[in-house]
Amino acid sequence: MITNNTLGIIFANSHDALLGDLTKQRSMASLPFGGRYRLIDFALSNLSNAGIDKVGIITKANYHSLMNHVGNGKPWDLDRKNGGLAILPPYASPEAQVYKGRLEAIYGILEYLLESSEENVVLYDSDVVANIDMKNVLRYHKEKDAEVTVVYTRGDKPEGQNDMMDFRFDSDGRITAVNFEERMNCDYSLDIVVMGRQLLIDIVVSEINAGRVSLSHGIFSKGYGKYRIYGYEHTGYAAVMDSMESYYKANLDILKEDVRNDVFSRNNPVYTKTRDDMPAKYGISAKTKNALIADGCIIEGTVKNSVLFRGVKVGRGAVIENCILMEGTVVGRDSVVKNIITDRFVKITDNQQLDGKKDTPYIYKNSVI
Amino acid sequence: MKKTECVAMLLAGGQGSRLGVLTRKIAKPAVPYGGKYRIIDFPLSNCANSGIDTVGILTQYQPLELADYVGSGKHWDLDRQSGGVHVLPPYQHTSGADWYKGTANAIYQNINFIERYNPEYVLILSGDHIYKMDYSKMIEEHKATNADCTISVIEVPMEEASRFGIINANEDGSIYEFEEKPKVPKSNLASMGIYVFNWDKLRKYLTEDEAKEGSHNDFGKDILPTMLADGNKMQVYRFGDYWKDVGTIESLWDANLDLLNPKIDLNLSDPKWKIYSGTQGLPPQYIADTAKVENSLVTVGCNVYGHLDFSILFENVTVEEGATVEYSLVMPGSRIKKGAVVRYAIVAEDTVIEENAVVGQSPESVGDIKDWGIAVIGEGLTVGKGAFVSAGKMITSEVAEGENV
Repeated sequence: MITNNTLGIIFANSHDALLGDLTKQRSMASLPFGGRYRLIDFALSNLSNAGIDKVGIITKANYHSLMNHVGNGKPWDLDRKNGGLAILPPYASPEAQVYKGRLEAIYGILEYLLESSEENVVLYDSDVVANIDMKNVLRYHKEKDAEVTVVYTRGDKPEGQNDMMDFRFDSDGRITAVNFEERMNCDYSLDIVVMGRQLLIDIVVSEINAGRVSLSHGIFSKGYGKYRIYGYEHTGYAAVMDSMESYYKANLDILKEDVRNDVFSRNNPVYTKTRDDMPAKYGISAKTKNALIADGCIIEGTVKNSVLFRGVKVGRGAVIENCILMEGTVVGRDSVVKNIITDRFVKITDNQQLDGKKDTPYIYKNSVI
Repeated sequence: MKKTECVAMLLAGGQGSRLGVLTRKIAKPAVPYGGKYRIIDFPLSNCANSGIDTVGILTQYQPLELADYVGSGKHWDLDRQSGGVHVLPPYQHTSGADWYKGTANAIYQNINFIERYNPEYVLILSGDHIYKMDYSKMIEEHKATNADCTISVIEVPMEEASRFGIINANEDGSIYEFEEKPKVPKSNLASMGIYVFNWDKLRKYLTEDEAKEGSHNDFGKDILPTMLADGNKMQVYRFGDYWKDVGTIESLWDANLDLLNPKIDLNLSDPKWKIYSGTQGLPPQYIADTAKVENSLVTVGCNVYGHLDFSILFENVTVEEGATVEYSLVMPGSRIKKGAVVRYAIVAEDTVIEENAVVGQSPESVGDIKDWGIAVIGEGLTVGKGAFVSAGKMITSEVAEGENV
């Protein structure tokens, strides 16, 4: 089976800097999303659902929360004797330095790649929320006899990354040109790439030796005449986290039934570390409208158009509107909170009035207001 | 070999026939409870939290789903290098194969399993109750009193005592008499079916009981009275927190709705004593604009577009727009369609209540309260459009469109 012959590599710190305070003390991969998940759950679940049972996670900084979350990979069935999950910290080799781009990052784990025996590698950025059937991607890669296959989606390009690629194809789906300029209604890259392990090693070593810094440059910019590079279109929902606004919007997108059913497909479930909370409890005066609510929440007030993570408490008379309240947020009685992202374990005391449109849109972890 | 201080043996073989259609395909300990749990999560979580990491689960009736659910024990952190959880159905031996004849015989047939761990004590548990209990405290007390057997007891109201196995004990907690469902109870200390034995003693009595003609091979009827008659030291261990038997439809319904009662202390996600359960990778629940949800528990995978009051929705339940669910339990994977009304009912797994059907009735709406009861819809059934299921009915086959049962 091709999937057992495939190694997954996840970049935990993809575009960390774009999310500001949200990723100040955590990696992109461990950013909470959708009520009970961390972003890396999508990458890990997509890889695991495709039968890929060996996954390396390249970390750079702030990876304590990530390690705590993934543990030995049990929730994704990645606690294996053969393969399984490996966290690849930046100082894996004696001469290693903290890497800058993906090229240096892969160079830093060269040993891991050399010691692996899988034929193919999937390179997976952790800043994408999408349910992608990687079995189909790998099948397509094989069918096209491609050397490189990159997953793209059609739409308006996210604005945060200035180096995001868009593609042109020939009638067979082979990539004939790579651009950076298009913004609207284009075929843009989700930076999920399938390629031969040996080819990856060769490209990385030669680019590093040539003093270059970009993996995409090595593969795409000069490669599309040289290698057989194909695009695989992901037609389902996809969101790239490239700003606090896009993070906020993508969370609220989950309130839409079609997006929810697509992202949390019954056939390809998204797994995460469990917290073993009770079901959510709704009190005598609770009013909840258009909201995604995780287990462990206790709601005694009003919640509208919001996403509540595990263990959030909304006191009697409190009103929550257009908010993302991360794990353990407590909102006191009669407080009104609108248009705000609260980080984990924020405590808002009684009778507060907060509006992210007027005040700060984001409240730091463990803050008391 | 390495010694294990205490091995727990969980009696999970009973059919639970008083739960009717709910245990047609599954054993009682596998019956769903509280939105995301099964009854067996309680003894298993209690074991894990009490530091007891070797548990034998004795199964007999419909063991498949239970064995599948228990798996390697990882949900309760009971997947261990040595010990861990073991599902123990009856098996064949050189002298032939026997079903478990009674609770004591089930343990007797697994003496070899227990001996592998060379334990000092054996803890006997059942899969019939909802409670949070630290078994390690009970074992400590068992050691402190130098007892041969310690039985966990709870005070029940005197007027209900004649429904229970009652234990009469002296002031120092030593037991002098057992009375099974006494007409005139002398005390209100009910046995919780939780026993700690010194293993050497228990093994001796199990072996003797097995050889005894006419024995029921039952703990309550045979082992305990014989031990007492022989002058063994038997003590009560008093338990004062929430404990409820879920052996009947009414008590199962009650014990679920107790989770909604703010006066009852039954926090299942208390970080100091969590109840764990198997999980399936489901997204958080969605509560729509059209929904009204009060006094209820709702869990992962649910979609609520209708009205919910004093109810519990289990995993993956959908309540469509205009549907009403009140004072009811809707078990995993079921769907309540538009305009349907479910009241004072238990809807089992993967059931569909079609549009405008009515299931169950409130006690007030029934002429004679004696005719009232919880309506139950069996697993995987469909209640047709506009059909009516009256109070207390237990539905075991499809209900056709417009049918009145």
